[in-house]
Parts: sequence; structure tokens; C-alpha cells
Amino acid sequence: MTDLAALSATEAADAFAKGDATAEALVRASLARIDAHDGQVNAVVRLDREAALEAATAQDRARAAGRPLGPLAGAPMMHKDMYYRAGRVSTCGSRIRGDFRPAVTATVLDRLDAAGAIDMGTLNMAEFAQNPTGHNAHHGDCHNPWSLPYCTGGSSSGSGAGVAARFFTAALGSDTGGSIRLPASICGVTGIKGTQTRVSRAGVMPLSFSMDNVGPLARTARDCARIMRVISGHDPRDATSAPEAVPDYEAALTGDLRGVSVAVPREWFLDGADDAVVQGFEAALEVLKARGATVTRVSCPSLAAIGTYVSVVSRVEAAAIHANWMREHPADYAIHLSGRLYGGYAIPGHLYVEALSRRGALLRQFCREALSGHHVVATPTLRMRVPTLAETDIDASPDNWARHMAVSANTRPFNYLGLPTISLPCGLDDRGLPLGLQLAARPFGEGRVLAAADAFQRDTDWHARMPPLA
Amino acid sequence: MATDPTHQAEAAIRLWSGIEPPNAAARRGLEDLPALIAEFAALRGTLVFEDEPSSFEAALREEQEPGT
Repeated sequence: MTDLAALSATEAADAFAKGDATAEALVRASLARIDAHDGQVNAVVRLDREAALEAATAQDRARAAGRPLGPLAGAPMMHKDMYYRAGRVSTCGSRIRGDFRPAVTATVLDRLDAAGAIDMGTLNMAEFAQNPTGHNAHHGDCHNPWSLPYCTGGSSSGSGAGVAARFFTAALGSDTGGSIRLPASICGVTGIKGTQTRVSRAGVMPLSFSMDNVGPLARTARDCARIMRVISGHDPRDATSAPEAVPDYEAALTGDLRGVSVAVPREWFLDGADDAVVQGFEAALEVLKARGATVTRVSCPSLAAIGTYVSVVSRVEAAAIHANWMREHPADYAIHLSGRLYGGYAIPGHLYVEALSRRGALLRQFCREALSGHHVVATPTLRMRVPTLAETDIDASPDNWARHMAVSANTRPFNYLGLPTISLPCGLDDRGLPLGLQLAARPFGEGRVLAAADAFQRDTDWHARMPPLA
Repeated sequence: MATDPTHQAEAAIRLWSGIEPPNAAARRGLEDLPALIAEFAALRGTLVFEDEPSSFEAALREEQEPGT
């Protein structure tokens, strides 16, 4: 008998559409998995058990009545606790917003609802989405399902851990410096951030308006393709959202990488990388080659400037929107967050404007360096093996600051560049913890990275492996 | 008058934003400012007079994946 909780989002939706599973059975399988294991993992902040079962029953009735089904109908999902649903508490991982009930619903939730996905509740996250490890002083740290003393990555900690633990089929995360790709890599799942402006941010907690992105974490590239099709596209409620048409990403998943050129930057991404990371990355490149891709090492001198500017943009923008709370009740923040925000107030305005103003020129330069004659850029998602919660805990010791911030070294540049970027599992290290492969493409090239990731997953089973939860 | 960069930064934050250092980690976080200042110093002269933030949205479209 099929374990319904083990199905991916597309498998669950397709099983529901074919009548092989009811939505209620899919939701009950997820609930049972959460009941059994979330005491260890701590991915869930709010479980809307009854509402999820009612939504599932409505989907079952719709199918029985022969009504059209959405592309994600019946698939159980939960989302990072920063996607507003009118009237539902959205803590944003914080004490400050512990009883915040928004008046609006996020456009992406409306779109997922319309696609038939079942929203079961909200997930743990870094406080105000502002750390790359997933530590949370208010809800408790989320734990890596592959080994509980290890961090999940952040800031979408519950999204990564919950998908990995098979608590639900997929989750929304958000990504300003790697917050989708890091937990995807560290928890052994697949996560994508689109081109800057690709997905609406209306009704989503802001962190850095220049670099915030909404995107899914799921088991497979195919899942991500289907979800991205649903959530992408212009939204009148978000003036920054792009008007470009949204392709059928899933239809373009052919498995064929012949003629695809993969660029591997010599600079930055492998600087000081752990041996296990390098081995896993090189092995992943061989898989892409076996599918028909060519791999070329390229030089990207632009990365030094990009690395400087990216942190300034997010720090200053976050500092600006948190200034009132930092004045009025700074003690309500976790130590690491108020410490991180504080430095943002020291950066002069003209340097922030310089960082933003150089962004277009550096995007053009990076595309010349890495994507001229190449289709995809490949890097490891992290340079280091998965760290423990203890060794990246700044609240316990400020000495952990450098290791904590180094977690996102390889993901941050792509937020500054605004490029579509995916992370997918590409191995396990010598301790049995996941390794991630990061793929980026030109603006609006989500289809490129999804197709490459899907091709990779046709020849590997890293994405299908389950963490050894007791 | 404070002269080291951390104390100067604290004074500037207090003056401009009315925010006090919330904890020791915050002061520790200011210790990376000299390195950041050096990185910006190395980039001096690269900003073109006509550059502005909206050039990024233009670049996204100019550098778009063909066929999208």
C-alpha cells in the first residue's frame, strides 16, 4: 500500500486527480506524520487541523461532482509563518508580532487556494526571516530531520525540515539571501527562488524590498515547476511584479541536456570549500555531463563587488523597517537579530544608494562573464558541510558570528543579481547530512534551472531519500 | 570624542536614529565595519555618474533568457 505522506506534491495531486487517493486521506497521512515526529523536529508553529480536513473534504466533493480540479488539488502544504491570511495570526517568527492578525491574504496564498492546494497551517522560521541557520529564540529552534543536533538552514527552517520529514508535500519559503535554497540544501529537498519580480510579494512580510523573493520548497524540480507556474505572474497588488508571461515550466521538463552549457565560476563559490562539498559538487557535474551538458570553468571578477554590495542592501533595508521596534523594545528581539539589525544603522545612505545603483551594471557584467555562451551557472549551495545548531548559535556566543554568516556566502550573490536560482540535493556527506547543488540562469530563465534540475533528478535518487527519523 | 570606528559608529547611530546598542552582540557586529569600509574604498570610482537603481530593472529585461 502506498504511503500517502511519501508522495511528492505532483504525485499527490495526480493521485487525487486520478481518483487513486482522496484529499482527506492525503491530509490525514500528513497529520499523522506531524503528530508522530514534530515533537522532535519543531517545524510547525500552527496546525489548522480541522480547517485542513474541511478544505480536503471540499476538494473531494468537487471531484465527485465532476467540477474542474486545480493543478495542486489535494496536495497538503504548510507555509512559512510570514504569508498573511486575513484574520489568522502571523508571527513572522517573532515575539513582537506574536498576536498580529493581518487584514489581507497574500496573493500567493490566494493562488495556491485557487489551485486546490490544502493549507494546513504555518511553519517555524528565523525571526523576521533574518538568519541563515533557522535559529529561533521564540518558537524554539527547528531541528534537521537528518540529524537533530544539526541546523535546518534558514530562514525558511520549518519549510525545509517539514518537506524533508514528509510532514506535507511542499511549502512556501522566502529568499532574500538564500532563505529558500539554504534549508533546501541542508534538509535535502528542492527549492527555487525566481527572478526578482517574478512572484508577487503582496501580503508577505517584508525584509528587504529590493531582494525579497517568494518561492517553494518541495521534493522535486517537477513539484517546483508546477508550483512556480501557479504562483508566478503579474499581480496588480504588487507594482514591482513582472508583466512577463509565465511559461508552462512543467511541460519543458524533457530530461534532455544536450546543447546545454554549464558554467562553473572559478572565483568565490569554492573558496575554502569543505572537501566533502567539492567532491559532491564535482560528482554532480558529471551527472549533468552524462545527460548531455558541457561544463566550462569561467572567470567572474564581478563577484567581489557583488559580495560587498549585497550585504549592504539587505542590512540597510531591514534596519529601516525595524527602526521603530529597535527604539521602542529592542529586548523583544533575539540577541542575534537585534545585533544584526544594529549594524545596518551605521552604513551611510550614499553607500546604500551606490550598492543599488551598481546592481544593473554588475548584472550585465556577470551575464557577460558567466552566461555568455552558457545557459546555466552551477555552484555548491553551501561551501561548508551542514553545521550544528550549537556551533552557529550567536545568542550563546558572539564568537559564532563568522561561522553563522558564512552559511549564506554562496547564495547571497544571486539575490543581488536577481537571477532565478534553484538548490537540489546532490549527495550526503560523510556524516549522512545532505549536500546541495545550486543552479542559476539568466533573468526569467526559471525554466532553464528547473529543466536542468529535473534532468539531474532523473539520474539520481538524492531527492527521494528519506531522513532516518525514528 | 570617541575615535575608534566602533564607538564612532555607535555615536552616529545614536545621533541619527536614536538607537542604543541592544547587547554585546550588536557591538561585536560593528567590528566588521572597518572591513566593509575597506571593501567600499576598493570600489571607489566604479559608480558611473548616470547609474541609478532603476538600471537594475532595465538590466533584468536586457539580459533576459532568450525566448521568455
